[in-house]
Amino acid sequence: MSILIGPMKLHLNGHKELTSHGEVKDIVAGKKVYIPLLPGTEILVKEGDAVKKGDMVAKRNDHFKVPIFSSVSGKYLGVECLEHTTGRMVDHLVLENDGAFTFAQPFEPIDAEKASKEELVEFMMNAGIIGCGGAGFPSYVKYRGAKGIHTVLINAVECEPYITADYKIMNIQVEELVYGTKAMLKMAGAEKAIIAIKKTKKDLITKVREAIKDAPGLVVEEVPDQYPMGWERTLIFEVFKKRYDKLPGEIGVIVNNATTAIAFSEAMRYGKPIMDKICTISGDGLKAPSNVRVPVGVSIGDVIEQIGGYAQEEVRIIGGGPMMGKTVSTDQVVINAASNAITVLKPDDSFAIACLRCGRCNDYCPAGIQPVRINNAEEAGDVKLLTKLRADQCIECGMCTYVCPSKIEVTEGVRRGKAMLQAQQKK
Amino acid sequence: MKFLTKVSPNNRDKDHSTQGIMAELSVGLMVVFVFSMVFYFQEYGMDYVIHGVLLLVTAILVALVTEAVFALATKKSIPAHLKSSFPLVTAIILVLTVPISTSLFAIGVASFFAIFVGKLIFGGFGHNIFNPAGVGRAVIVSSLMGSTVADVTTGATPISSMGNAGWMIKDAAVTEKFLEQFGGLTNLLLGWYPGALGETSALLILLVGAYLAYRKVLDWKVPAVYIGSVFVFTTVIALVNGVGMWYPMFHVLSGGLVFGAVFMSTDPVTNPTTISGRMIYAIGLGVLTVVIRLQASLPGGVVFAILIMNMMSPLIDKLTDGWSIYSTKKYGISVAVTFVVGLVLTFVAGNGLEPRAIEFPREGGGIAIFSDSTANLPTVDSATEEGDLMVYVLSAPGYYAIETGGADNKIEVSIDKASGAVAKVAILEVNDTPGLGDRIDAASFLDQFEGISFDDQEAGVDAVSGATVSSLSAIRAVRVALEEFNK
Repeated sequence: MSILIGPMKLHLNGHKELTSHGEVKDIVAGKKVYIPLLPGTEILVKEGDAVKKGDMVAKRNDHFKVPIFSSVSGKYLGVECLEHTTGRMVDHLVLENDGAFTFAQPFEPIDAEKASKEELVEFMMNAGIIGCGGAGFPSYVKYRGAKGIHTVLINAVECEPYITADYKIMNIQVEELVYGTKAMLKMAGAEKAIIAIKKTKKDLITKVREAIKDAPGLVVEEVPDQYPMGWERTLIFEVFKKRYDKLPGEIGVIVNNATTAIAFSEAMRYGKPIMDKICTISGDGLKAPSNVRVPVGVSIGDVIEQIGGYAQEEVRIIGGGPMMGKTVSTDQVVINAASNAITVLKPDDSFAIACLRCGRCNDYCPAGIQPVRINNAEEAGDVKLLTKLRADQCIECGMCTYVCPSKIEVTEGVRRGKAMLQAQQKK
Repeated sequence: MKFLTKVSPNNRDKDHSTQGIMAELSVGLMVVFVFSMVFYFQEYGMDYVIHGVLLLVTAILVALVTEAVFALATKKSIPAHLKSSFPLVTAIILVLTVPISTSLFAIGVASFFAIFVGKLIFGGFGHNIFNPAGVGRAVIVSSLMGSTVADVTTGATPISSMGNAGWMIKDAAVTEKFLEQFGGLTNLLLGWYPGALGETSALLILLVGAYLAYRKVLDWKVPAVYIGSVFVFTTVIALVNGVGMWYPMFHVLSGGLVFGAVFMSTDPVTNPTTISGRMIYAIGLGVLTVVIRLQASLPGGVVFAILIMNMMSPLIDKLTDGWSIYSTKKYGISVAVTFVVGLVLTFVAGNGLEPRAIEFPREGGGIAIFSDSTANLPTVDSATEEGDLMVYVLSAPGYYAIETGGADNKIEVSIDKASGAVAKVAILEVNDTPGLGDRIDAASFLDQFEGISFDDQEAGVDAVSGATVSSLSAIRAVRVALEEFNK
């Protein structure tokens, strides 16, 4: 009932025209590449080992199994702790690039039509397919033991401003999208796969509709051009008018990003893991915003240099889009396997004044919580109220800061409230 | 190269800012002010416009000075403080809620109270509990009502006339005559009549409000629910009392309801922060406005309703705290319950309203001496025989007494015992506005009464121009004396 709680979403200026028409430029990896490793990752090579492009060099080995593949050929030099696109410091494998890109196929292709459901899930795990929407969640986990799934929802919404990478990839590789989606449909045991695309991307919709003509169960659904339409909960409510507690599986839905389906298809058909990424490098801080095809581990600085450089001396570099991406303190941060965009913006000159309690943050919060009240509760240190206000439900989508007319960092306040709540719960 | 870092998100809505909201609001308010000035220029002349502009200038100056002194005292930069405190909006709203006869002194004091007591002592913009302009207006209503300008006066306002009529007119002919004084409901909508400066033209305010809502300067739901509730509540009262649809329309169109709804009830600082909360708040405003109008002697009701509901905002916020998407049922029930309670309260307040007799201006000018009115009747202090004459001394409520509860006027009426006709009327004491109300002590006015007797039921006199209420005190005194003599 939006009349009682507000629209919970909003059309943003996408600035997509900056990059949606240009070619995808190929980026050449420099002398060294740095492959970030999440905590719990085991390194499979020793210092000085020769590596080929495609070699499995590390494997995440905690509760999730995610192999990590080299994006260049050359030599393994060791580990360095560097800044990640999330702004955190993490270990990176340092690989010396010999420039030859000698490829060694790490696994055999698989025929999705012949393989069993279990074989496909196993394959997905071993191919290191992770969610390409930005968060990098291992995809096989969603299908392992999936039960009662009626629909696979392919998220091709791309609601963050500036980003056009998904749009580009789908345009170039629409057959891979269909192949990957069909395989996911089979793995989920679902009857239907819905590919959700913003209704403003008319050409893409036509192209995908044409490509799925002969694929039973696949349909395109047009969704409004609003933020955060690409968030699982918002998208599912838009498509199914249903809410769920923790996971979409509760209402019989698995959600995967369109790019993930394409990466999965490439692994199945050509035995190729995620080694390159198509990323949008955009924003008013750049001379020539573009989409690029870049090997994993190349620094942002290298990429930007190859597409024309910065527009001015002072900029903000954001790992991802401007809403959910975090600023980084150096352009030595590298493109990782889950990257889809780098946004470079001029400095923000807005200054905050007192909250006028207009409630816009409440009305537009996609999670249906009350950012202004959470900010008040956080300032007052009222953990009990923070619990009641469900500060834990914030996904830090940035909407509240975006809409705030007083230019307050509302999201940061909610983030602090969330942290306060978590700290209390740990006690 | 320098890489700046800040917390996410790194995207701002560049089309909406609090400064922009306040600037657009000021422009919208000024449109209403200009309309009002055009009206006074056309109907009353340039002197009125000058006074109106002076009121605005005084209110703004006092507001600015108050803010500046506060900034100095709290060691803040004055320009930076002014830019984020928005005194202009408060000052303009305040001026638009007062009648043109308000003195510069009164508006200055009210402006100071609005800014200082209404806003700054709570911690400044964003922290105030009450609508600052509402506070200023309340100060005038409660203690500066008598501080008016002598040579700037206008006729009775629809809301005070309705208040004198007991908020109920059942006779169809009387209703028509009553509404006709103000040019009918259509003119109430258009606003071509004297009243509080900015509160008359419901149509213009609604147009400005619609534009501001479209620009997202204000939330349209608050005025819509507020006005809608008043309409529904008073429709029920109209049905119960068997009067027509003019009744709810009159409630909506008069007494600054539309102005208060569009410009004051939407003040975000004093509103609840959720949509459901704002709906409950708006219904509460409707209930209080109707109850105050019908049951208290306060003419408008709107300002006090807003100030009372302002206090409820934190409570309403508390009520709606939670995870909104799983609270819609609770929200829906809360809104519905508030509405039903409001319906009951206003029904009780409006049930059994008794119409009071109304004094109308006589055709061809002048005021009839005899009427059925029971409002503000003088009391007989003494009756003494002096030769051929019967001399009555009466205490008659004049402007001062009626509007501020001050002392009555003392009037001596001598009646010829033989003929029963008025021999002489003398004013012993006037407490009304000096230079204006006291002009009833003029022979040209008082001589009109001579020779009128109880049998001349159609008799009437011309009121002193610009001192209708004071004149009425003398007219009523003569009526009561004649009635007393003929008992």
